[in-house]
Amino acid sequence: MSSPLAAVSSAAEVSSPGPLWVQLVKAVVIFALVLQLAPTLVWLERRLLGRFQSRLGPNRVGPAGLLQPVADVIKLVSKESSTPTTAVPWMMAIAPVISIGTAVLTLAIIPFGAPGAYGGEFALAGIDVSIGILYFLAFGSLAFYGLLLGGWASGSKYSFLGSMRAAAQLVSYEVAIGLSLLGVAIAAGSLSLVDIVAAQDKVWFVVPQVVGFLIFLVAGFAEAARPPFDLPEADAELVAGYNTEFGGMRFGTFFLAEYLEIIVISAVAAAVFLGGWHGPGPEFLGPTWMFLKMAVLVLLFIWVRATVPRLRYDQLMSLGWKILLPLATLNVLVTATLVVLL
Amino acid sequence: MLFEQILFFLAAAGALAGAVGVVVLRNPFFSVLALVGHLLALAVLFLLLRAEFLAAAQVVVYAGAVMVLYVFVVAYVGGIEEPLGPSAGSLRVLGPVFAAALLVEVAIATVGSGLRAVDSAGPDVTAGFGSPQAIGNLLMLRFLIAFEVASYLLLVAAVAAVVLARRRRGLEEAGGERVYQVGRRPERGPQAADPAAAGTGSPGAEPVGEREPADEAGPAEREPATAGTGASRED
Repeated sequence: MSSPLAAVSSAAEVSSPGPLWVQLVKAVVIFALVLQLAPTLVWLERRLLGRFQSRLGPNRVGPAGLLQPVADVIKLVSKESSTPTTAVPWMMAIAPVISIGTAVLTLAIIPFGAPGAYGGEFALAGIDVSIGILYFLAFGSLAFYGLLLGGWASGSKYSFLGSMRAAAQLVSYEVAIGLSLLGVAIAAGSLSLVDIVAAQDKVWFVVPQVVGFLIFLVAGFAEAARPPFDLPEADAELVAGYNTEFGGMRFGTFFLAEYLEIIVISAVAAAVFLGGWHGPGPEFLGPTWMFLKMAVLVLLFIWVRATVPRLRYDQLMSLGWKILLPLATLNVLVTATLVVLL
Repeated sequence: MLFEQILFFLAAAGALAGAVGVVVLRNPFFSVLALVGHLLALAVLFLLLRAEFLAAAQVVVYAGAVMVLYVFVVAYVGGIEEPLGPSAGSLRVLGPVFAAALLVEVAIATVGSGLRAVDSAGPDVTAGFGSPQAIGNLLMLRFLIAFEVASYLLLVAAVAAVVLARRRRGLEEAGGERVYQVGRRPERGPQAADPAAAGTGSPGAEPVGEREPADEAGPAEREPATAGTGASRED
């Protein structure tokens, strides 16, 4: 999976990638930083859910429970990865890898700062590709194979139903996500995320594209299979959906991929709609603003999870196809008309 | 560049292996997955040809949408090691003939045109080649008519799919609001569960009772319905 990435970086750079050592540093920093964010996010979510539900949340391991993710990871790593007799073992092994791979690869295009903010000419993004938004959509749609293969290979009906739901849900909301981003692409005149953020130096796209932003948020919740759209793993109906039969670090990998997905969707929303690195102060503060905006969106994910009950399956489908899709299409039509007229 | 050459041979081998796998593998589920692998390898080859928009479109449209629906359908009704019927006598003769004809055709096309661009230097492209802007300019200026005709074709297909899906659900439309009844599942059980009943090799392949027993349209035709209205009846 890393091979397309490398080819993209050599073939399709919009702004200069910088020398090799810069690329390596960027890759390591992004990877290390965001992978640390995921366990922190798990801790934050459990603490906040506790507050939302008038209880304490994890508070025993380390100060304020901060070491709880470490304890969880140690537990997961040391657990056995079991496979049911009806399962397809090799497929159960690669399914979490697909999930985590697609989530991590999407991180590469997130712009964290203005090109040249820290000296040099290179963009503060893993890679700046001319197909930015499509790259995000491509790996978003490939992420589905992780869920589907995981559920199918488990040889369990709960898992299978969960992965079938994931299939239908992801395909349905992929369309809405694509169309909601299309309005921004038309307004910015580019698919590159760096260009899109650069086009927001006066006004963030959330103002002219507020419909697109809302559609992206709702569809993003569904894409990440988060409550209220967590039908693929609806615990009241399907035990845990596609990951029911997964134990140990295989489950941990699915879990990590899910939280990475939240971070990726927040980052894309922050870059595309909330002005990315733009904010008051000098240019080198860009990454701070970016992370702040991402944090706000991530908190929204948690807040919504604690507030809204899960949708029924038919409600989910009619929301996607009968409300979001026509709205997004209308948004694109209006945007295109306005861009041509003005 | 050495790295791109290594990548080319990896992707080419992947594409060939995927294509062979589609035909050779007996389990339809693995066949479909082999096709997915093939399409992904093709996307890498597109990238090496500096056609990044095509590569992304390939992944989004084929691997991400079309194949998802194939996998969806096959996972429900297939995944079974079904013995294929004995191949008809005439097919056994005609098959190799057509395959040989295709091979000759591709060989002529490759030798006639494509090989000139293929050398160790790689394709000679200008900056921005294969970018969304370049593709957009081509589609909107040079190939406008073909582009519009293709989009009408797709529109017709989409409308036809909606019409087909609606006709099968005609009774429900007349009945007004649909209410899910838990007790109805056993009624549909026999027809719906039939394909899965034989499925020893397919993990968890029991349909959930939302399939239409009368499957007039093939898997390909019912794609939009499956993702949209059909799947909405799961619960």
